[in-house]
Amino acid sequence: MDLKIVFTGTPGAGKTTAIAALSDLAPIVTDVANTDPGLGKAVTTVSMDYGHVDLDEGVRVRLFGTPGQQRFDFMWRILVEQALGLVILIDNSRPDPLADLRVYLDAFADLLPRMNCVVGVGRTLECPVPTPDDFADLLAERDLAAPVLAVDVRERRDVLRLIDAILSQAEAAA
Amino acid sequence: MKPSDHPCAASGARAGQELLDTIDGARTVLIATVDGFPLAVAQRQPLDADRLAAIVSSIGALGTAASRETGIGAPRCLVVESTQGRLVVRCVKAGTHELVVAVLTDTQALLGRVWTALAHVERTLAAA
Repeated sequence: MDLKIVFTGTPGAGKTTAIAALSDLAPIVTDVANTDPGLGKAVTTVSMDYGHVDLDEGVRVRLFGTPGQQRFDFMWRILVEQALGLVILIDNSRPDPLADLRVYLDAFADLLPRMNCVVGVGRTLECPVPTPDDFADLLAERDLAAPVLAVDVRERRDVLRLIDAILSQAEAAA
Repeated sequence: MKPSDHPCAASGARAGQELLDTIDGARTVLIATVDGFPLAVAQRQPLDADRLAAIVSSIGALGTAASRETGIGAPRCLVVESTQGRLVVRCVKAGTHELVVAVLTDTQALLGRVWTALAHVERTLAAA
C-alpha cells in the first residue's frame, strides 16, 4: 500500500531535513542558491522534496516536501493532491510562530477539516514560547484538533512520530 | 539585495527587451533568480512577474532534479507546450550567478528561433 504525506511549513523549519532523516533513499531535492538575505540560509527549496520510507506490512509512505515561501504556494496545492495527511512544521525561533502557523492554516483551510494533520514545532528547547498549548488553542479556534508535537527534525525517531500521528488519525477515521 | 540591484538586472533588462523585439509571437520575457525573484521583465501584455518568476524557478529546479536523477547532465531548456502558446525556460549561468530566463509565446512563434535567442541572451548575460 502506498500512502502520501506532505511536509509543509515555514522556510528553515526543516522540511527537507525531516524527509532526509526518514527516507530510505537519498531524497530528491530541488534546492537552489538562496538570494534572500532575510532567509538566513545558503539554499532553499523551490519546487519539492521527495523521499519514501517502507514501514511494516508492506506500507510505503511517500514523503513530499513543499517550498516554504508563500510565492511558491501554487506548489503547495499541487503537492497536497491525494495526500493522506499534512505535516506543518513550525520554527519556534522565528519572530511570530503563531502567525506562521496561520499562514498554512489559511492556505489549506478548505482541506484541513477533512485532512489528517499534525503540527511539528522545532527549536522548542531554545525557544519554549509559544507553547504547544498556544498552538493547540489556535487550532481549536478553527475547530481543528491536530496534535502538536515538539520535534527535532534531524532525528528519525521524531519524524516517525509525526508520520505515526497522521497514520493514527487515518486509522481512527477509517 | 533588491532585485533591481542585482548585477544582472540591467543587462537582463536589455537582453530581455531585445529578445521580445526579435521574436515574432513572443509575449513576455522574464529573467529571474533561481530562487524565484524577478530581475527584469519585458512584456507586450500585463502579467504578474513575481508569480511567473516563482513558477519558472520551480520548473527550472524540477528540470535540474529530473536531469540529475536520470543522468542526462544539466538542463538547458524546458518547454511547456500548451494549446494557446508555449513557455520556454532556460537555466543560465552569468558568471557566478545562476538565473532562469523564460519566454512566453503564442503558437506562431518558432521554437528554434526562441532557443537561438535564449542562447544569445545567455551569452549576453555571461559577458556583462
